[in-house]
Amino acid sequence: MSDVHPLGALVRRWSRFADLPQGDRSAILQLPFTKRSYGKDLYIVREGQETSECCLMLSGFSFRQKLLRDGSRQIISFHIASEFVDLQNGLLEVADHSVQSLYRSEVAAIPRSALTELADARPAIRRAMWVDTLIDASIFREWVVNVGRRDSRARIAHLICELIVRLEKQGLGSDDAFDFPITQEQLADATGLTAVHTNRTLQGLRREGLIELNSRSLRVLDRDGLREAGDFDELYLHQAV
Amino acid sequence: MNSSDHPLDRFIADLCGRSPLEGSDIAALKALPFRMRRVDAGTYLVREGSVPDHCAVLVEGYAFRQKVTGDGSRQILAVCVPGDAVDLQNIFLNVSDHSVQMLNKGTIADLLREPLQELVMTRPRLARALIQQTLFEASILREWVVNVGQRDARERIAHILCEFAVRLESRGLAGKDGFELPMTQEQLADAAGLTSVHVNRVLKGLEKDGLINRRRRHIHYDNWRALQDAGDFTRGYLHIPGEDLVDQAFAV
Repeated sequence: MSDVHPLGALVRRWSRFADLPQGDRSAILQLPFTKRSYGKDLYIVREGQETSECCLMLSGFSFRQKLLRDGSRQIISFHIASEFVDLQNGLLEVADHSVQSLYRSEVAAIPRSALTELADARPAIRRAMWVDTLIDASIFREWVVNVGRRDSRARIAHLICELIVRLEKQGLGSDDAFDFPITQEQLADATGLTAVHTNRTLQGLRREGLIELNSRSLRVLDRDGLREAGDFDELYLHQAV
Repeated sequence: MNSSDHPLDRFIADLCGRSPLEGSDIAALKALPFRMRRVDAGTYLVREGSVPDHCAVLVEGYAFRQKVTGDGSRQILAVCVPGDAVDLQNIFLNVSDHSVQMLNKGTIADLLREPLQELVMTRPRLARALIQQTLFEASILREWVVNVGQRDARERIAHILCEFAVRLESRGLAGKDGFELPMTQEQLADAAGLTSVHVNRVLKGLEKDGLINRRRRHIHYDNWRALQDAGDFTRGYLHIPGEDLVDQAFAV
């Protein structure tokens, strides 16, 4: 059942973070949710809005972002299938940033009260949910380092390394080829670089024989070289909690 | 500290200020086994890559989270103030993904990891309050990504000063004329993704423009709104409830 149920991905995800008894697994599958589809650039969550649900990605890509008063944008994370884009809104009253669909995406919107009740009643789920938010925070720490202290080549390479590890974890991508709908402008906003600089950096990584990036598809040619270039160590992703 | 004070008082007061806890939750927290220790400036409370067996609460003094990149440069990720749990994430993560070091000398209460785990497994309300703490931390981290990613040097430093002012204020640790910032210019640089030469220039600029006054490590500001403006600072991301006391104190 869990293979066809949209929330089956959540059961699998949280099973990695805690030993979930059968009753907990069934309870997750019984969570109420609304399935929603979003086109490119549409808002899934808006900064400042009161929160009433948490959205689990079922397919596609989305990103979190904050806008500055001068209109510049910082992307603070990308999200793929089976990840929550706003689990924090299960406990925080107001969204402190926005989430946008990067490319066609589908989400399961789960009422926050249903999630918090589940966490209150079931310790193993509580633990899994907590770990999920802790990994989120760990990734943000690494992004502060990436943008604060790495040069442009390392920033871009690091970001690509992170995304391919996460995509592979979800079984998305094979033979080092990945669906990669992130534009150069979005890569720039995620790394604090200009679009021109990002373009030049990507060309450099291509020339070095590390990656091939065409419209919407990424091929990794030299994985070790890319990790080296990105100063990448996946410890912070806490894949083995 | 009075003999009736508990080392976790400030930590517990902050938890209670943000989510409803009952007397039994607080009593259970206070009954947790812990070990007190005095630590010097520079002491590592947590080391990246280590396997944690306790969670440290900062009782006195300041600490900072940091990571070092492959080429040896350091990024400071957060400044911890008295009452903060410095590695609450290690309650359920098995390897520390960053280091925590003391900024100055202070006092730590080390809570053993297993009794703390048991406590949150049996007390949902307390677990919720602690999860919220990690969510506030994550929110601050998101703002730091923005700070180093999009703001210019002057905005970055002013933003860090504003954040520090509000967080200290909420713990009753700032005077209405300013606060003690126990950070060197090099450490400020590592928090802002700048060089220390650049930070020095920015601090002088903020001083010249009348936004701050510095006396040793004391930062004084006359015009809170102007400093906020210089730092593109709005406090929403801190999720600190209640009145903006700093704003009140400086309301014209």
